[in-house]
Amino acid sequence: MEQIVFALLNGVIYGLLLFMVSAGLTLIFGMMGVLNFAHASFYMVGAYLAYTLQPVTGFWLAIILAPLLVAGLGIFVERFVLRRVHAYGHAHELLVTFGLSVVIAEVIKMFYGNFPVDYSVPSDLNFSAFALGGMEYPFYRLFMGGVAVVMFAVLYLMLTRTRVGIVVRAAIYRPRMVEALGHNVPMVFMAIFGIGAFLAGLAGAIAGAFYTTNPNMALELGVVVFVVVVVGGLGSMEGAMLASIIIGVMNSLAVGVNVSLADVLARVGLGDWARETGGILTLQLSSLAATLPFFLMLLVLLVRPSGLLGEKE
Amino acid sequence: MLKTAMCCSALAIMCAGAAQAEPLQVALVETLSGSQASTGLLYRTAAQYGIAKINAAGGFRGEPIKFVEYDSQGGPVGAADRVKAAIADGARVILQGSSSSVAGQISEDVRKYNLRNKGKEVLYLNLGGEALELTGEKCHFHVIRTSPNAAIRFQTLTKGMKELGLMGDKVYSINQNYSWGVDVQSIIKANAETVGYTVVGETLHEVNKIQDFSPYVAQIQQSGADTVLTGNWSNDLLLLMKAAADAKLKVRFGTSFLDQPGNIGNAGSVAEGNVMSAPFNPELNDATKAFAEDYKAKTGHYPAYVEPYAVFGMDMFAAALKSLDDATGPVSANEIVLALENTKIETPVGSLSIRAEDHQAEMPMIIQEVSKEAAFKVDGTEYGFKPLKVYTGADSADPVQATCKMKRPG
Repeated sequence: MEQIVFALLNGVIYGLLLFMVSAGLTLIFGMMGVLNFAHASFYMVGAYLAYTLQPVTGFWLAIILAPLLVAGLGIFVERFVLRRVHAYGHAHELLVTFGLSVVIAEVIKMFYGNFPVDYSVPSDLNFSAFALGGMEYPFYRLFMGGVAVVMFAVLYLMLTRTRVGIVVRAAIYRPRMVEALGHNVPMVFMAIFGIGAFLAGLAGAIAGAFYTTNPNMALELGVVVFVVVVVGGLGSMEGAMLASIIIGVMNSLAVGVNVSLADVLARVGLGDWARETGGILTLQLSSLAATLPFFLMLLVLLVRPSGLLGEKE
Repeated sequence: MLKTAMCCSALAIMCAGAAQAEPLQVALVETLSGSQASTGLLYRTAAQYGIAKINAAGGFRGEPIKFVEYDSQGGPVGAADRVKAAIADGARVILQGSSSSVAGQISEDVRKYNLRNKGKEVLYLNLGGEALELTGEKCHFHVIRTSPNAAIRFQTLTKGMKELGLMGDKVYSINQNYSWGVDVQSIIKANAETVGYTVVGETLHEVNKIQDFSPYVAQIQQSGADTVLTGNWSNDLLLLMKAAADAKLKVRFGTSFLDQPGNIGNAGSVAEGNVMSAPFNPELNDATKAFAEDYKAKTGHYPAYVEPYAVFGMDMFAAALKSLDDATGPVSANEIVLALENTKIETPVGSLSIRAEDHQAEMPMIIQEVSKEAAFKVDGTEYGFKPLKVYTGADSADPVQATCKMKRPG
């Protein structure tokens, strides 16, 4: 019983972390139609900036300042890079953001080297929140989850309950109309891009300390984040939340399941044959845990191409 | 960085035709860019250090060795392509080390090339691919492994931990799901009875894809293990240790690649007391200290992780070439291989030799633990690796695998 509670908790919190990064990606796609390949790079930059600032400003200020700087970087990218390329269509925007992600990774390596840097959870936050059945649960994980939940609530309320949210949502569907009504649409887009980058930077600053801060972190997380956005539905904030949690929990539960196809076939009397054949039949589900999200993506694309909660055709 | 030994490849082709006596050409095929570059770059540093030493001592047959680098950009596909290019450019010796999967590819490519090009054979010096099949079913005359392998690492590790009283009764084996990790897991299981422990759980997982190891740690916790043995490297080791510490899991880790730069700095006190079996430790004796200082003077850092044994492999290569130095004209790969089989050198840690039957190197292995008492601190922390026990080359050697059926020339 405790095992399952822990597995669920682990999964939900990892899912919430995925949400923090994918929220920005799906927000930007929803608003601007740009699939931002450099988005996970913002996550990495957030972690490295927080690591750099921490000795000077302390941990708390660092995890606030770093995302703000990343937001600045995002606004710069939107204003001076993406906007110029926008006229040439989506393919060019995609390529520009892809190039940007490579450049950011190499610049990080130039400054910080090839190996993980020494960025870790401050010691006064490094305690267990509770113990259950002999297992202790780190407080910092709950903290990460809490930040993600607060973030989701703020974004959701902002988009659905405020005037700014109305303008933003209107700008997605009828940008020319909104412009005609006297709103500065390019400004709205720039702000959205900045917010998206801020969210990724915040996730990086917080998660970089818990996991590792290394030059590959963008690549490692980036792929999963894309899966989350596709599964949830491109542009859907609620979809991203749902997909993140599903993928997180699925990952966590699959690790504990030592079942292979051979075990399933044994039920119908083909167990020995399957074990002799070997190969994929004896592959255990637990060793595939990190591949499961991709199966899910495949399934979603086949059955419901717009994603779980996606609206666009 | 050593720039002297480097030579841009385009230039190398042009000047190769002009040179009178053709110098021996050595090609490093490694991942030098992209996300997997960190280990490849260390092999490059070590190879450059080794080549510079040979050339400083007069080169080979009156000519400096020409050293050319090829960037394989990650996987076996890129490596196969670069190996072709290197051979076409005139390379007679291929150096590579950073991945067993790439090593398997290069080994096969070299074998096929040599079959089809009698008299123009190429030698592949495997500086670090440690999967067993490379000196097992894939073994052939023109590939030589100068690094330890999975059996050497984990036999010495389990024996050493037991003798030092660092091994618990219940062992959990967690490894990466490819040739190396699978080898490690089978050795951990095979040694259980002879060394005296029970394997209470085993996991194979994807390589460097997992961000969150907490579900795996929960599995370890559930199994009641007190010792975790793992061949994991890079992020897979670091994240696993961090996740174990966060869950306040009380286990000792037995590892093979704990000294990768950044690991100790990142894990901090979490790593204290964890054990590693590796072919080098800087504080072992005066010779290792002198080597560490010389390496630092030339490259800017102490030798760590794969660098020491890559350098010793290069020293081995240098000694073999020295024994062939009194002739003139080009040297064949067959001659170098035979010389390597008959060469025995004294590295700072002890004697190093190549076994003729399967071309596996025999070298001392050092059981060491992460401790504040270590003389050489790493990553700017108060921790370093303290040597606990040394196994000589003969003690650490594993028997020749029955699957190795080497066809010798002639």
